[in-house]
Amino acid sequence: MGNLTSYPKGALEWAAIFLAVAILIMALFGGWFTPYDPLQIDFRGKLQPPSGEHWLGTDGSGRDVLSRLMAGAQLTILSTLVVIAVVLVIGCAIGITSAFVGGWLDNLLMRLADIWLGFPPLILALGFAAALGSSLEAAIWALIFSWWPNYARLSRMITNDILSEPFVAGATALGVPTWRKVVFYVIPNAFDVLIIQVTLDISAVMLAISGLSFIGVGAQIPAPEWGAMIAGGRAHAGSAWWVVMVPGLAIFVTALAFNIIGDMLRRELDPTTRRRA
Amino acid sequence: MSVRDDPLLRLDRVSVALRQGGREMVSGVSLSVGRRELFGIVGESGSGKTLFTRTVFGLHDDAVVSGGEVTFDGRTMPAKSHHTEMKRLLGKRIGFIPQDPFSSLNPSMRVGAQITEALYLARGLSPKSREARDAAIAVLAEVGIPEPDIAFRQFPDQFSGGMRQRIVIAIVLAQEPELLIADEPTTALDASTQRLIVDLIVERSRTRGLSVILISHNLELLRQSMDRIGVLYSGQFLNLFQADQLAHQEVHPYTQALFDCIPTKDKTLADIRPIPGEPAGAGFGLAGCSFADRCAFAKDRCCATPLPINDAGQARFSACIIGKGA
Amino acid sequence: MSEPMVTLEGVGKTFASRALVRTRSFALSDVDMVVNKGEIVGILGESGSGKSTVANIITRLLKHDAGTYRFKGRDVTGYSKAELMAFKSDVQIVFQDPYGSLNPRATIRNIVRESLIIHRPDLTRAQQDDRVSELMFEVGLGGQDIDRYPHEFSGGQRQRIAIARAMAVEPELLVCDEPLSSLDVSIQAQVLELFTRLIRDHDLTMVFITHDLNVARLLCDRVYVMFQGRVVESGAAREVLNNPQQEYTASLLEAVY
Repeated sequence: MGNLTSYPKGALEWAAIFLAVAILIMALFGGWFTPYDPLQIDFRGKLQPPSGEHWLGTDGSGRDVLSRLMAGAQLTILSTLVVIAVVLVIGCAIGITSAFVGGWLDNLLMRLADIWLGFPPLILALGFAAALGSSLEAAIWALIFSWWPNYARLSRMITNDILSEPFVAGATALGVPTWRKVVFYVIPNAFDVLIIQVTLDISAVMLAISGLSFIGVGAQIPAPEWGAMIAGGRAHAGSAWWVVMVPGLAIFVTALAFNIIGDMLRRELDPTTRRRA
Repeated sequence: MSVRDDPLLRLDRVSVALRQGGREMVSGVSLSVGRRELFGIVGESGSGKTLFTRTVFGLHDDAVVSGGEVTFDGRTMPAKSHHTEMKRLLGKRIGFIPQDPFSSLNPSMRVGAQITEALYLARGLSPKSREARDAAIAVLAEVGIPEPDIAFRQFPDQFSGGMRQRIVIAIVLAQEPELLIADEPTTALDASTQRLIVDLIVERSRTRGLSVILISHNLELLRQSMDRIGVLYSGQFLNLFQADQLAHQEVHPYTQALFDCIPTKDKTLADIRPIPGEPAGAGFGLAGCSFADRCAFAKDRCCATPLPINDAGQARFSACIIGKGA
Repeated sequence: MSEPMVTLEGVGKTFASRALVRTRSFALSDVDMVVNKGEIVGILGESGSGKSTVANIITRLLKHDAGTYRFKGRDVTGYSKAELMAFKSDVQIVFQDPYGSLNPRATIRNIVRESLIIHRPDLTRAQQDDRVSELMFEVGLGGQDIDRYPHEFSGGQRQRIAIARAMAVEPELLVCDEPLSSLDVSIQAQVLELFTRLIRDHDLTMVFITHDLNVARLLCDRVYVMFQGRVVESGAAREVLNNPQQEYTASLLEAVY
């Protein structure tokens, strides 16, 4: 955690960091500063190419694409972050418990995670859509349910590695209580690996949410979610490229930026290169 | 005398630098290794002993010989193609025994095949021939493997660490080298096996008339088993002396201090005198003696005066600026 | 004869697949061992002889599954929670690997202070800080910036920090598992000197696990020689190491430089 800023980074990494920060700011505040109402229909002004008035053009119902993109960032990225935050907390709680307690509980939880991993997220999402109705919430629930085992297994593995280090044995010899071991020994040392996984998963979850929305299981069409925007613009893709290209590029660039950051963190925080400096 | 006049290996002011960035890690090493001579190189971790030896003998790709001359059997290596020339000698005239016998043998290849492969590469013997097989079994017997004809057909993981290191030595001996390089050949092994392996290397080299360069952090091990010893400290070549004279003759202050802090059989607690401070590590390009800040005899000029450089022909040498052990 | 601090009688251990501490040791069988107050006891043997397992059993990092272990006359298996905490402040351990034995994510101050947080909750923050400085001075790291992380220190310095952490609770028994063997020769001598000073100043009882017979000869009053999970020879260090009765001990001695 300490000296991230001291690592040399290339132009690509700086660009990715800049983009990621810009996108996050847009996700948090962009919805309030849209030039037009993202849902305002104007059939007379439909499918206008990018111009001074509509920077990124308008879609098949005459809605301003830039406004929809900015509002959509909130939907897409905030729901991604919600999914990640929830699976991180649940997964780590299960994984760390599993590693500390061991024995039958460990076996039970890990077999449960294995079985869970066997469910394809798409089928789960269809199930949730059937139960809750097709909506962004259904997609979020589906992703939470299919993603937590990844973090449970990862955090269990890291915790087991940390528990086998002599410094933890030293803590045991000292009588350090379990909660203190989790807070001061396990979590700080697991942080690197987890943050890398989170960064890489941001793009994966975002693609999944957009993908689910695109096929109609997630956010529904008038909503400016990026995947749903592409789905809504499909009919005009041939004549009005911006309707699908703009949200498509947004998804692509965001996923790429977080992937680059994830790869960079993986390189820089790799314990084999950092240790015994 | 004759040993000095016609050495097998002669290093003259050899320096080694990192390929990337060109930082000089070890500088000014001048020494010669005579035919049939057992030569030890001692140094603590970070002294540059492993990097230096590996680079000089073409075993290391990250560093290059950046200065000085390396002469093997009368032939001086051209500076430009040092690495490739050395690689040509490796496995034929120069044999290398690595640290870790657990990772230096191919786990999926039978012991016999690994030896006959070496025989083929070094001497052109057909791997399937009767002759290669007999030679391989003979060399396994030579290094003390019990039932060598059975071992020939076994895999490395069926042997203990000590036995594996014997197999590695057998592979190297099969190449019939003239010079044997061993880099800490016993650190991965148990204490009780350590001496057996070193003794085996010494005894086989004496019998076969090989020259040996043995790298170790253990000065006492080298003192008891080698003919002469060279001392590296923080990338500087500090001392060169006859091993059997170590306890009787004045040597470089670092060598003496190192000798004084090793627990040996006949020392009491009062005899152990730790060296204060920490080794500086290699590659800092210090102006004077890198040991000066830990040295009991250091004077002001030790930190500023360039180190004396050895003439490669000398059998004894001390790079002490104030003349200790010279 | 002074009172025994540690008594192992017929102690055995068979390993399940997962061990708390990474060791290559086999099971222990029928180990009898006594450590008297004020004694420096060496446990000698090669890797796999079970000597680290004994260290882990004495410090209760591992539970033995046969025989009895009494600490100051009381069977440790019957400890109450309070007794166990008292035991953990009486017995401390120093490990071989100075790189793995300090939490890489904690500052040196917090690493050493940890012992005080657990066992001396009566101390104020300022008193703890004073005690930490005192300990750092005692292990020869006085004047160092202790708000740095372990990776900013050398191997020898880390081992001193590990010793400071162990000494913070003023243990009666210090178990050292190969504390010198991953250090450089010149640093080994420094740490050896530190140990002798601590033994003298604190009236420490020590179990010193090593494969280096020369170090054992210098430091230990009595030694146990282990081979394949059993004690094969024991006695006064001088006698065992100068006049071994067992062939195995003799072969170990022969291999020493």
